[in-house]
Amino acid sequence: MSAELIKVTINGTEYEVDKGRRLIDVCHENGYGIPSFCYYGDLEVQASCRMCLVRIDKMPKLQTSCTISCTDGMVVTTTSEEIEKAQRSMGEFLLANHPLDCPVCDRGGECELQEVIFDWGDVEERFAENKNAKAEKYLSPIVANDPQRCIVCKRCTRVCHEWMGEDAIEAGNRGANTVIGTYGGWLNCSQCGNCIEVCPTGTLLDGTYRHETRPWELDQTVSTDPYGSDGMQISIGTRGGKVHRVVARDRYVNGLNGEFLDVKARFAHDFVCSADRVKTPMIRYKKGGKLIPATWDDAIAHVAAKFREFGKNVGVVASPRLSNEAVFTLKRFAQEVVKSDSYAVSDVADQAPFFNNLSAPLCTHKEIRYATTILLVGGEPEEEQSFTAKQIRQAVRNGGAKLIVVNDTPIRLVSSASQFVHINPCSYDAFVAAFIGGDKSAAKKAGIDAKEIDAIRKTIDETEGEFILMVGGELSANAQAALAGTASKFGGENRRALLHPLPRYNNSVGAHDMTAGRKSVEEVAKDARALLIGGSLQNASIIDGKDFVVVQELFLTDTTLRADVVLPAASFAEADGTFTNNSGYVQRVRQALEPLNQAKADWMITSLIAREMGVDFGYNFAATAVFKAIADSVAAYEGLRYPHLKDESRPASAKYEIADRDVADALKALSESAASLPDETEKISETPKIGHKLHRLTTMTSKTPQFHLLANGNPKPDSLFVSPLVQFNLDGTKRESEAAA
Amino acid sequence: MEIKAIGCEPLQLKRMHVKDGHTLKVYQETGGYKSLKKAVGMSQDDIINEVKASSLRGRGGAGFPTGMKWSFVPRQSPKPKYVVCNADESEPGSFKDRYLLERDPHAVIEGMIIAGFALGASTGYIYFRGEYNYLIHIVDAALEEARAAGILGDNILGSGFSMNIHTHTGAGAYICGEETALLSSLEGFRGHPRMKPPFPAVEGLYASPTVVNNVETFTSVPQIIEMGGTVWRDLGTEKSGGTKLWSISGHVKRPGVYELPMGYSDMEKFIMEDCGGMLRDDKKLKAVIPGGSSVYIMNADQILGKNVTLDYEGLVEAGSMLGTGGMMVMDETVDIMESTKNLTEFYRHESCGWCTPCREGTDWLVKVFNRIADGGGRPEDAQLLLDICDNIEGKSFCPLGDAAAWPIQSAIKRFPEDFKKWINKF
Repeated sequence: MSAELIKVTINGTEYEVDKGRRLIDVCHENGYGIPSFCYYGDLEVQASCRMCLVRIDKMPKLQTSCTISCTDGMVVTTTSEEIEKAQRSMGEFLLANHPLDCPVCDRGGECELQEVIFDWGDVEERFAENKNAKAEKYLSPIVANDPQRCIVCKRCTRVCHEWMGEDAIEAGNRGANTVIGTYGGWLNCSQCGNCIEVCPTGTLLDGTYRHETRPWELDQTVSTDPYGSDGMQISIGTRGGKVHRVVARDRYVNGLNGEFLDVKARFAHDFVCSADRVKTPMIRYKKGGKLIPATWDDAIAHVAAKFREFGKNVGVVASPRLSNEAVFTLKRFAQEVVKSDSYAVSDVADQAPFFNNLSAPLCTHKEIRYATTILLVGGEPEEEQSFTAKQIRQAVRNGGAKLIVVNDTPIRLVSSASQFVHINPCSYDAFVAAFIGGDKSAAKKAGIDAKEIDAIRKTIDETEGEFILMVGGELSANAQAALAGTASKFGGENRRALLHPLPRYNNSVGAHDMTAGRKSVEEVAKDARALLIGGSLQNASIIDGKDFVVVQELFLTDTTLRADVVLPAASFAEADGTFTNNSGYVQRVRQALEPLNQAKADWMITSLIAREMGVDFGYNFAATAVFKAIADSVAAYEGLRYPHLKDESRPASAKYEIADRDVADALKALSESAASLPDETEKISETPKIGHKLHRLTTMTSKTPQFHLLANGNPKPDSLFVSPLVQFNLDGTKRESEAAA
Repeated sequence: MEIKAIGCEPLQLKRMHVKDGHTLKVYQETGGYKSLKKAVGMSQDDIINEVKASSLRGRGGAGFPTGMKWSFVPRQSPKPKYVVCNADESEPGSFKDRYLLERDPHAVIEGMIIAGFALGASTGYIYFRGEYNYLIHIVDAALEEARAAGILGDNILGSGFSMNIHTHTGAGAYICGEETALLSSLEGFRGHPRMKPPFPAVEGLYASPTVVNNVETFTSVPQIIEMGGTVWRDLGTEKSGGTKLWSISGHVKRPGVYELPMGYSDMEKFIMEDCGGMLRDDKKLKAVIPGGSSVYIMNADQILGKNVTLDYEGLVEAGSMLGTGGMMVMDETVDIMESTKNLTEFYRHESCGWCTPCREGTDWLVKVFNRIADGGGRPEDAQLLLDICDNIEGKSFCPLGDAAAWPIQSAIKRFPEDFKKWINKF
């Protein structure tokens, strides 16, 4: 689809642009800085701030460039005395009731209002009346609000509606009294914080960062979200060895997610600098005894000596939260040091069958946004892959895409769907047998009508453009294999079929790539007598009774309870590395802090043990060398080096093998599995509560106190003017007033 | 309260003094629904052409040619089309639509059905301002009568055309008189204006082709169909066809609703003779706001002896606008600073808050006016007010910004003494 090229003259220079492009975008791309507040790419045009006024020949008044589509022969002036007067007057209006409290505002220094006004300089303030005062308050434990700073650009309400589909905030009152408010006076939403991110002023504020520091005092390190598998790019703001905030601001990051983040990526970063971190290596000399702090040298020597005793009986388990470098090194440890094939990844939803049966390429998130039809089988992206969910919502809302949801639960995305195939609980096998294998009796077991499957097929057949098949991580191995293996068959003359996995963890995909030939965690735990575990296990009881367990961890967990040696690992913010996202992008994780206490990067700990046992991995303490070793041994990563991963706007992909697959065996197994399902079961009718997974307290999120209130029902406090953390105990009960004592 | 036609047969005011004129029986006895019968026998294009020929211009204030507006609606549309009657008569000084709805609701309904037939719209809405709540019952009763008589609903008068009309009330927002804000409100959203283009004729209510017309525009339609477009036009002038209702208030002996032919000559005669002259004989005429609060205020020198004709062109020539025809007459006891302050407070209160200049500008203007009124006026205030108005005018999202600026600009220009007096008062 090549658009027609037309000629537009801007300030006397002629440009060739696609017909119908938005004038403000064309001007910005060509270096004409038109100030604007309410305009925000890919959100509905609002045209309310009236800042982006330009003069267009043959038009009677100044025009807002955000509402103008380019037409052939258009002559535009973006700077003139008349325009500057108009724009300055808008600035003057905006500042009229603005408190001008920049010195105490968290946004000061990166505030768009401040920048526009300062760019002109020489600002005369003629507004000498009393300002309309509005008090600061909290909208939730995480979102604070200073309504007086608001310029009513409504970016926040639009992202809430268009990106999140939550409609949690909206403007209230009228005229100069307009304020951004919530329904019921309290924000009961997923707390994604995108409203804070897109706010051009200090009106919506990060409640976890409030009054902590000034933005220009922060070091900004671009890195990758340590929670979800979408690989959202973040900027970690650190100062004095502490992580103060995480943002995705355009000025720092140019990632696939734009300024979008979710509640965990944005706010759950307190774990990095938590006082609960494991500070030194610790050894439990006797089963049942205490963990006693030790030096690194002693701990490594102790571990090496013990592992030597167990020889091949040492098993290795890596967490899918670890970087590619860490997982790869753990696998090498198994293969090269203890010379066993007893290694595993502790993922709850292994998508190996999906990746091993790829018949179509993985899609990018941009392709999701512009897809024509999306078939979502299983999963709950709005709680687990929030950026994928946002792209789906926008594809439907702004792009007119059709979304078909196949799920046993009416997840929230169903409200965006053009078709919802509501299957019986846990009957995905039956659905896939019916949908791919054409097994009619399986459809009955899935609790659906054959017509529903015909309707899906019809929608796909009518699709022109991109068809994306999304496969939930909770699907059985055969179901994943059957879907991934037949996706290519949905392609057609004007239609491309693409696949999108929905893995659970930030590096589920990378951990899979690094550990070809792995066993399951249960197998490894059963076979081995001694274990080296990177991260923690979902179910630690499977290592009960092992002779010797070494855990590389940040915190004391159920797994470290059973450990004989605990080695303090560095968090994602303290080590260089890479994660691989669900589009197959290999993304950099960058060191933002020196490792805290005595922590070391996971790959370094593993290689220290290896070296003590006589095998030098040749890393020479450099993450680049680890990655080079990955590129040399993992086919999908061949040729990649850190410099290739530098530019987040041009991501590097792992190259997966795409081929025609034979899924006959998988389909046969699925039909058998379907046959064993009961005929009659009750369907799940309740839509899960917003945040039921996002707000869950885990080892990592529980270190951010605000998450405790979210997980405990997000109670509305008596006073909105005081932090909810002061008014509630962490369990959500009301705190007794201390003033009385 | 005077309700009468001057210089023409009462057309709009035909049933104002007829007992039970609001009932279907009386409406039909006095010639009602004849036009509809005629219209359903005409082609859609013929109806639109008649309306075009009539030079009927929208009576809501903007004066956009109605026939042209109707012809913008696409003939073929996969979406339903809508006809919306704007009964959000909220312009200060205007009260004509209220009497039409109260005493002649079937004329509105007949006009809407003809419009619906001409445009192929099978649903109509009448959007009342919140304060006109009491009128809804009258109009609902009229709609019910029409439905029972087969004039509204399925297969209207056996023509095969079906249409229904619903009533809807706003919540008392001036901005909802702006057609796109009205549509937002009708859809259940906040009453904010929308971007144009797309114009409502292409993408209006529920993103479907929609025609929004004022009450008086719709009541004109049956007359046009009955007597023919050109005959109706010739009641007025070539560019401003037909007759127009004027709402007169203020310092005249006989305020009320008057029907005048377009091009009525002249304004001085109208105020001084037809409306009975100044309320108090010893007080002189000082100012007139001729077309509802949003137009330029005129001083006596612009009216007396100037032979101002009452039509769109004549009032522009005289330095103001026809607007909705809500004429406010003020004698010399009125302080124009105070009256302008009052209007500005109205615009501040009614600004919807969507765009910067209107939201912040009207707030600022009121604060300056208040300061002046409290004795804190400064020599530079007049210029400041003009500057603020200049920064609002032409830059706001919808015409409300302009409407707030024009009265102030004209007041300062035409009544400088009233402002000087305040600023130098203390």
